[in-house]
This record gives sequence, structure tokens and C-alpha cells, in this order.
Amino acid sequence: MLWFERQVVGALMSPSLDDPARAGIEAYVDQTLRSMPEHLRAGVAAESILFGAGPRLAHLLGRGRAAAIERRIERWQTSRIDVLRQYVRLLESLVLFAENELLPDAA
Amino acid sequence: MTPRVHDTEIVIIGSGAGGAVTAAALAAAGRDVTILEEGPWVDPDATEPFSLAEMVAKYRHGGSCAALGRPAIAYAEGRCVGGSTEINSGLYHRLPAELAGEWQRTYAIDEFGPSTLDRYAEQIEEQMGVSRLPGAPPTSSAVLERGAAKLGWQAVEFSRVFKYEPNGRAIKQTMLRTMLPRAIDAGARLMPDTRVRRLGRDGDRIACVCCEQTRPDGTIEELNVRADHVFVCAGASQTPPLLQRSGIRRNIGNGLKMHPTVKIAARFPHPIDHGDVPMHRVTEFAPGLTIGGSASRRGHVALALADSGNDYADALADWERVAVYYAAIRSEGHGRVLALPGLHAPLVTYSLTEGDMSRLARALVHLGEVLLAAGATEMYPSITGGVVARGEHDLVQWWDATSRNRANLMTVHLTSTVRIGENRARTGTDSFGRVWGYRNLRVNDASLLPDAPGVNPQGTIMAIAARNADQFLSQG
Repeated sequence: MLWFERQVVGALMSPSLDDPARAGIEAYVDQTLRSMPEHLRAGVAAESILFGAGPRLAHLLGRGRAAAIERRIERWQTSRIDVLRQYVRLLESLVLFAENELLPDAA
Repeated sequence: MTPRVHDTEIVIIGSGAGGAVTAAALAAAGRDVTILEEGPWVDPDATEPFSLAEMVAKYRHGGSCAALGRPAIAYAEGRCVGGSTEINSGLYHRLPAELAGEWQRTYAIDEFGPSTLDRYAEQIEEQMGVSRLPGAPPTSSAVLERGAAKLGWQAVEFSRVFKYEPNGRAIKQTMLRTMLPRAIDAGARLMPDTRVRRLGRDGDRIACVCCEQTRPDGTIEELNVRADHVFVCAGASQTPPLLQRSGIRRNIGNGLKMHPTVKIAARFPHPIDHGDVPMHRVTEFAPGLTIGGSASRRGHVALALADSGNDYADALADWERVAVYYAAIRSEGHGRVLALPGLHAPLVTYSLTEGDMSRLARALVHLGEVLLAAGATEMYPSITGGVVARGEHDLVQWWDATSRNRANLMTVHLTSTVRIGENRARTGTDSFGRVWGYRNLRVNDASLLPDAPGVNPQGTIMAIAARNADQFLSQG
């Protein structure tokens, strides 16, 4: 998983989850991204680099805030720009599925 | 390092609905059969159906496949011994007679009449144990029956490839439990974890099947399989790229069809059964539009709720009263499957027509109508920004909301990438799956279907595979 993907996944997880659960979800998302068809993974990685350039720079300059990434994701979830919405949707669907499937009463 | 060589009379690439049926028929006739399967052998009881563990173990790309287009369409397929029969809902349907007749005429397919296909379907049904649910349907299924009855619409309980034990346990009759054991008992060899890279051609024959086999320790061994006859049964998304990588491209991979699907997460005033996929289908508008129920584990409910882009926290907390339903259309559009140089996964694209978008909007509204009639109190459509519907007046807004940049679509049925028939301008094989221009190369899987049938295609795939195997045997 790339740096920005990790930030987005972290922001999409429920805040009430404990560390082992967060690690389990992150591992699942990482594994699924690795399993994707190569051309789709390349597209997602390119988007991550592009969309994450600003936040990454802010982070390197010591100005990065988790809350800013959360606000950004919230905007993208209902954005009229297809590619932004689909980017968040992909990662959100992986996080949501894992988060809910890893609960003991999933079925 | 020199590849290991394996000699066999018949090699079958793929162990899903097409490959396993072919293997069982040919092995039972005393032929020397080897089955190559890219995926692993996974104990059918090792994971819960539709769970995260099952997706990791049995789904291609962990379930993260998509056909690119506007909109992109997510799809799922199996990658394990038994193929997609190990992960589907087990619904079984014969090919509607009118479609068999239409396909026969359009593509000039010999011996493809409804009576011929029904004869093979009967065989398959007997061997697989096709049955209906004993007793009352689960609540998730009864909802569809109830809603349709209130609207005066037709709904039917579909047969499934399930057997029921005296204690009530339902066991899905996948290829791993039916056709593959038959084939192996009759002498066939099964090689899991064996990916075919390409077919080696020698004039109008396939001389060698070049594979890489993953050993239990993770190392990879080169393997060349030499066979008199080659059956490619890798499914509609994998058969074309294998043929293309092998230099066989005429009418291969360019006719992809599917059933684009919209979904609704529907909340009811009462708990809904989540242990089984509904077996009822609303067939009022079939085969152009079919309404049914999806897997509704907590994870699926969460995904479906999130698709609308509305706040769903309250509904998710109440997930035991929420279930996921779908409406699938027969699409006018079509797509392509294309091998990309140097990459394992093919590029899959699909173009929906304006008519398809209109049908999807209509499908979503009809699905909403039947769920409302069944007592749903809240409905979250798979349309970003689509209003959460609580009454019939809300459904109207879904017409406009179902647009290319708002619709979240998926499918589980890919077909038609190497069509059969004597019409050489439109088909990749003859009427029995023999690839044009090659004496010993056949395709025998979902790729052969001339179009998406509007119903679960596994019954059609198996009937056609049995028919083609029979024709092959009749040739000596």
C-alpha cells in the first residue's frame, strides 16, 4: 500500500476499532490491492500518487493533519468528479467489507 | 531449465462448469484426461459462503475485478478447483427455449434446438442433484414472493444445485463435489495450481500446452503438457487471453456479454434471514429484467448501504433487518477481453448503451416497487446520491439519478467471448466448440454462449459442455 492509501484507509476505519482490528483490516486491503489486475492496480497507484501529492507534501513539511485528510475524503465521497468518487469508493468498500466481516456476528 | 513433460490424450484447461462437465464425460468414456486448474484446491467446507475468507481463498484477484467503461462494472469470478461453481449461489436454470431458437438462427448453430439442449440439461440435473428447497423459504426469499404477489407480478422459486441432508443442512453441489470426483474416479488426473501461459502451435494443431506449476513450497516449475486434443474451459474472461497469447485471435474476445446489475439495501420492520441467498426471483419482466436477492452478510449489507452515498450508520446498526436485493438486465451493449503483453490479467471493457441505462433505471424502480410492496421501510439504491426511498413517491427520483457517472454496477455472469456457430463472420468456433482453423483445439465454457441468457448461465454452460463432449466422443 502506498503512503496516501494507508492514510485514506486509516481515515475510513471506524475510530472505535482497536489496534489489532485496524491492523487486520489494513492487511486485508493491502493484500487485495496487491491481488488486483496489474493494469487496475497501476491506475489506482497513479491516482494515489496524484491525489496524495498535496497531503504528502504537507506531511513532509510537518503541516499534515489527519482531520484534513478526513475532510478531503468526505468531500470526495460525493464528488461530481467520477474519478475522485470511485477512488474513495474502492478503498471504502474494502475497508467496510473487512471491518464488518471481521466482526464475530458477520453472518 | 528444461520443462517437465506430461503426456496425455486430452488436456482440459479449467475445472469450472465447462471443464469439469467435459472431464467427467470424457473420462467416463474411457479417455485419458488431464485437467489443469490455475487456482488452488480448497476444501469446500473450509470457508463460509460469501465470507471474506472465501473471497481471499477462492476469488480471482480477491474479488476486485472490473470491466472498464462508463460506468465501470465490478465483477466476481472463481479462481480455484471447481471455478465459479464454488462461489456462486447455486441457482440453476435451463436456457429459455425462445433464446435457444433465436441463437440457433442468428449464429447458424447445428443441433442446438431446445429439445437437444433439454436432453443434456436433464442428464446434468440428474447428475448434479438439482432440487427445490424442502419446506418454507427463508424470510429473505419470502419477501420477494410476497411483494410480487401484492403487485400481481410473477415470481418463482428457482431450482438450485443443492442437496439437503436429513438434519436440514443444505450442501451446494459444486464441481468439487460432483463432476470432478466423477472424472477422477474414472481415471482423470487433476493438477491444481497450474497456470497455462500459452498454447504451442504447429500448423493447424496445438502441439504443446506450456504451463507453470506452483509447488507447495511456492516455487514454480515449468511444465509442458503434450496432448492429442486440447479443450480450453477457462471461462469467458480467461479463455480469450489464453488464445490471444497463443496467436489465435479471429473472433476471440470481442463479443463479451453480461448481466449488468443494480442493487438496493432494503430495511424491513422485521429481522431478515442472512444465512442463505434468496431462491425466489421476480420473473414478471424476464428474461430482459430479473429481480432477485443477493448474499447479505453484514459485510455485503455495509457495502450496499454505502453505495448510495447517504448516511447509513443507523441502518447498519440495524443490519439484521436489512438485506440486499438486485435487478439484472439483458444488455444491448457489449465488451472486449484483451490480453495485455507482459501482464497476467486481461483488459476487460464493457460499453452500456443508452437503452441499457434506461433499462437499469427501470429495473431499479421495479425492484423498489416490489420491496416496498413486501414491506420495506427504507431503501438505499446503488446510485451515488440516490435518495433513500421510504415511499413510492421517492422512486421517481431514481429515474434521473441512474446515470453513467452515478450508477454503481456489478455482475457475476460473463459470457460470449468466443461464440459458437457456423456463421464464420461472427463466431470463433464451429457449432460444437472447435476453434476455426485448428484440428485439435476446442473451447467448452461460458465463452461459447452467443449472448447473456438473462438467467443464471451455469445450467446452460453445463448443458452445452455435455453436448459438445458427446459430439467429440461420437467422432471416435
